[in-house]
Amino acid sequence: MTKRIFRRMDFALIIATAGIVVMSLVIIGSATHINAPGREHYWFVQRQGIFAIIDVALAIFLMNFDYKILQGYGTRLYVFNLIMLLAVMLVGHSALGAQRWISIGPINIQPSEFSKLIMVASLAAMLEGRVGRINTVHDLLPIAAYVGVPFLLVLKQPDLGTSLVFLAIFFGMIFVCGIRLRLLCGIFAAGIACLPVLWHFLKDYQKMRIMVFIDPNVDPLGSGYHIIQSKIAIGSGMLFGKGLFEGTQSQLNFLPENHTDFIFAVVGEELGFIGAAVLLLLYLIVLWRGVQIAKDASDIFGRLLATGITSMLAFHVLVNVGMTMGIMPVTGIPLPFMSYGVSSLTTNILAVAVLLNIHLRKQKLLF
Amino acid sequence: MIENDEYEGRVKALGIMVVMVIAILLARAGYLQVIDGEYYASLADGNRIRIIPSMAPRGTFFDRNGELLVTNRPGFTVSLLPLTAPVSEDVVSRLSTLLHVPVEDIHKKIEAHSGFDPIRIKQDVTPDIVSIIEEQKKLYSGVVIEVQPIRNYILKQEAAHTFGYVSEISDEELERRKDEGYKSGDIVGKFGLEKVYDKDIRGVNGGEQVEVDVTGKPVQVLGIKEPVPGADLYLTIDKNLQTAAEKAVDDQLALINAHAAAAVVMNPQTGEVLAMVSRPAFDPNLFAHGISTKDWNAINNNPYHPMDNKAITGEYPPGSTFKIVTGTAALADGRVSPDEKIFDSGYHWIIPKGNADGEALGWLNFVEAMAHSDNVYFYEMGNRLGIDALERYSRMFGLGKTTGIDLPYESDGLVANRAYKRKVYEDDWYLSETFDAAIGQGFNLVTPLQAAMVMGEIAANGKRYKPHLVNRIVSQDGKVIKEFTPELLSELEVSPDVIHLVQTGLHEVTTYGTAARSFQGFPIEIAGKTGTAENPHGRDHGWFVAYGPFSYPTVVVAVVVEQGGYGAASAVPIGRKILEAAFGLNQPASPAGAGKP
Repeated sequence: MTKRIFRRMDFALIIATAGIVVMSLVIIGSATHINAPGREHYWFVQRQGIFAIIDVALAIFLMNFDYKILQGYGTRLYVFNLIMLLAVMLVGHSALGAQRWISIGPINIQPSEFSKLIMVASLAAMLEGRVGRINTVHDLLPIAAYVGVPFLLVLKQPDLGTSLVFLAIFFGMIFVCGIRLRLLCGIFAAGIACLPVLWHFLKDYQKMRIMVFIDPNVDPLGSGYHIIQSKIAIGSGMLFGKGLFEGTQSQLNFLPENHTDFIFAVVGEELGFIGAAVLLLLYLIVLWRGVQIAKDASDIFGRLLATGITSMLAFHVLVNVGMTMGIMPVTGIPLPFMSYGVSSLTTNILAVAVLLNIHLRKQKLLF
Repeated sequence: MIENDEYEGRVKALGIMVVMVIAILLARAGYLQVIDGEYYASLADGNRIRIIPSMAPRGTFFDRNGELLVTNRPGFTVSLLPLTAPVSEDVVSRLSTLLHVPVEDIHKKIEAHSGFDPIRIKQDVTPDIVSIIEEQKKLYSGVVIEVQPIRNYILKQEAAHTFGYVSEISDEELERRKDEGYKSGDIVGKFGLEKVYDKDIRGVNGGEQVEVDVTGKPVQVLGIKEPVPGADLYLTIDKNLQTAAEKAVDDQLALINAHAAAAVVMNPQTGEVLAMVSRPAFDPNLFAHGISTKDWNAINNNPYHPMDNKAITGEYPPGSTFKIVTGTAALADGRVSPDEKIFDSGYHWIIPKGNADGEALGWLNFVEAMAHSDNVYFYEMGNRLGIDALERYSRMFGLGKTTGIDLPYESDGLVANRAYKRKVYEDDWYLSETFDAAIGQGFNLVTPLQAAMVMGEIAANGKRYKPHLVNRIVSQDGKVIKEFTPELLSELEVSPDVIHLVQTGLHEVTTYGTAARSFQGFPIEIAGKTGTAENPHGRDHGWFVAYGPFSYPTVVVAVVVEQGGYGAASAVPIGRKILEAAFGLNQPASPAGAGKP
C-alpha cells in the first residue's frame, strides 16, 4: 500500500515546490541581511523554515484522507469562511492601513490567505452538480452570489489583492465547469463597461496605485517608489545577477518589502535573469502539473478543486511577479512559496497537498 | 478518469493560459535584465553612489617680492546629500536649530537643487558644530561635513578692489558658463583679479566616491580623486608700497574730512602696477563664506560706493593735469615756441576766463606756465590748437578708451570733441568749450589709471606700456604657465625735444611751482602736476600726478581725492607719502622696494 502510494506521487510537482521553498529560504535570508553582523537576522528564515517543516508534516498526514470527503463539507466550509472573515473585521488588527490579522496566541494569522483555499473547496462542492448547466445569467446568479459575499467581505478589509484572487478562482472554475462562452464574454464586456463606476469605489491609495502603475514617475518618492526601485533592482541584475547578498538595491534598503511582496526583485537582482528564469520555470512545472492533475482527476469535484488551486496560484504568480516588473499594478499579493509569511506558506503547501491527493486517487479502482 | 468528458478541452485551454502567463513574465524579465540591463544597472549605481566633491584650493596671490597676499584656510561646510528618499523632516528641523538657518531656507535649497551633488546648507561653521554632527550621526542622517578651502585675504580691505572677491556661482552665471566646466555650488571669482584669472587659479575639483544606503549613510568609500590646486599669481603689486599707499590715503581723508579717493602707482617703463587704492573699500573676506545681510546693507547703503574700484572705474574731469596733453600738443603742432611769452593779465582777452582766484601772473614762457599751472596761457594754447587738434593729441595719449588693464569694469573716460557734443546736446561746438577743454574741464573725463598713464608716457619719453597686475602665473609644480612682459602699446609721435620741454615744466612744478611747498627738501627729483577739477555736485576734486626719479623715472603716481578741494592741499600730500614709500624714504633701513624694471 505505502509502496503504491509512493509510486503514485507526483514527483515533478513535489520537487518543483520543494525547489521554490528552498530558494525562498535563501532569498529571505539575503533580503533580511542574514550576513550583516549583530541583531537576529536569522529570525525570518528560521520561522519560515520551521513552518515549512510543520506544513509538510501536516500535508503528509492529510494524505491519509480522501479529498472527496471535502465535498460533503462544502456548506460548512463556506459558513466557516464567512465567520472567519467577519472575525477579522471585528477583532482583527491592522497593518499598513488594512485590517487583515488575527492573533491566536503568539501567532498572527492572516485569515484571508486561508480563505482562498476554503473558497476553492466550497465552490468546487457547489459547482459539482452544475457542470454544463451554466448557460444563462439566471444560471450564473446563485454562483455569483455565493462567491460575492466573501468577495465583498475581503474587499471591505480592505484587501483588493485577495478579492481579485477570488475572482480569478471563480472564473477559472466556472470556465472548466463549462460555462457558455457567450455568457463569459458577456460578463467581461459588462465588467469593462462598469470600470469607471468601480473607480469611484476604490480608496485613494488604490487609485494612486493604478495611476503609478500607468506612470510610476507621477509620484517617484511616494507610491511610485516601490515600482521604480523594484524595476531598477531586477534590471540591474542583468544576466547573471550581482550574487547572493550582493544586491545593492536590496542590501542598502532601497527596495522596501524585499522579503515579502517584492521578493522576486531580490531574486532578479542577486541571481540575474538566469535565477529569475529558473524560478519562473519551477512555477511553470507546478502550474502545469496542476492543470494535468485537473485533466486526469477521477471526478468532477477533483477537477474543480485542482482547477481552483491552479487558478489561484497562477494568478498570484502573474500579479506578484508582474507587479515587481511594472506590468501589473501594486496589490498586496504574496508570491506563493517565496514571500515571507506563514499564513501564505501554509495555505500554498496545503493547496499542493490537495493536488497530490487528487493525483493519488485518480484511478477509482484502487480504493 | 471522468467519463463522457466534454469539457476536457477547457482544462487544456487553462494549460495554455498558464504557459502564456509564465512566458509573458519570462519575456518581461528578459527585457528588463538583458536588453535594458545596462540602463537599470546605471540607475542602481546612481542610487547608491554619491560624489562628495572636494573643492580645489584656489591659487595663492604673491606680491612682486614673493610675500603672501591672498591664500586659503580650511573651513567646514555642512551639506545634505541628496537621497533617493526624501530628507527627513526631523533632520531638517535639527539642522535648522543647530545652524540657526530657518527651516524654510533649508527647504528652498533642497527644492532648488537637482542632481546628486551635496546641497550646501551653511559654510564655514565652527569646529564644535562639526563635532556635534559627527558624534550624533544617527540624528543627522544624510548630513555630511565637507572640508572646503575658504579664501583668506590677509590684507583685509587693502587692495580689495585689485584682488576682488569670490562667492558661489549665481544661477545666471552658471547658465552662461556651463560649457566652461562650471557647476552649481562652485566658488568663482566675482571681481578683480579673482574674476579675471578665475580659470587659471580655480584648479580642478576632486572628490570622494562613496556608497550610501537609502538614508544617505556612507557605507564605504569607492574611490578618491585628489583635487588639483589652482595656479599661483605673482603680482606686480608691492605689498609694502600698497600698505603705505592705503595708509597715506586713509590719513589724508581723515585729515581733510573727505570720503572717497583713488591712487595708482605704476612703473612707467614696464606698465607694472605697483599699488592701487580705492576708497571707501570693503573686506573681501566677508564674501568668502556668504556675506551677511547686515554687512551687505552697510556696503550697499554707503553713498560713496565701496564696491567700485575708483582707480579704474571712476571718471573725473582731469583738471590742470590735462595741461600735459594741451602743452605737448601746442609744442608738437608748432603753435607756440618754447620761448614765446604770453601775458597773463588775470583774464584771457577773447573770453574773460582766468585763474581760479583771478590771480595775474604776467609774462610767462612754456615752462613757467606749466610750473604755475597758468590757465590764461593754456586757454591761448587751446585757442591756437582748436578742439580737433586737441582731440587728436588726447587720443594719441590713449585717452577716451580703456587702457586694457587686467581688471574688470574699466571705464573709457571721455575726450572732448565736436561729435560727442552734437550727439548728446545736438548743438555746435563753441570756443569757450575749447578753452575749458584745454585746461581739463568741460567734457573731458579720465580715470585715475588714465591720468597715471598720461604722466607715465611723459616719464618714459613717449612710450605707452600696457598696465598690468600679474607678472607670472605659476602652476603648483613650479612651472611658469604664463609670463607677462612689458607690452608697448604706442609711442607719442612728437619730437624728443617736445617731451623734454614738458618734462622740464613738470619738474619745475615741484621746485618753484604749485607743488613746491610740499616737496621742499625731498631728496629725489620729482616731476609732478597738480589739478583741481570743478565738480558741479559739490567741492572740487583734487588731483596730483607725479613721477620720479626725474632723470630715470621708475615710479609714476596718480592720486584723486573726491571733493577734496585744491589738488595741492588734498592730493599732493598723499602723492608725496607714496613716493617716499616707493623710494624707501619712510623706513630708512629698507632698500628701495619698487622701481627696478
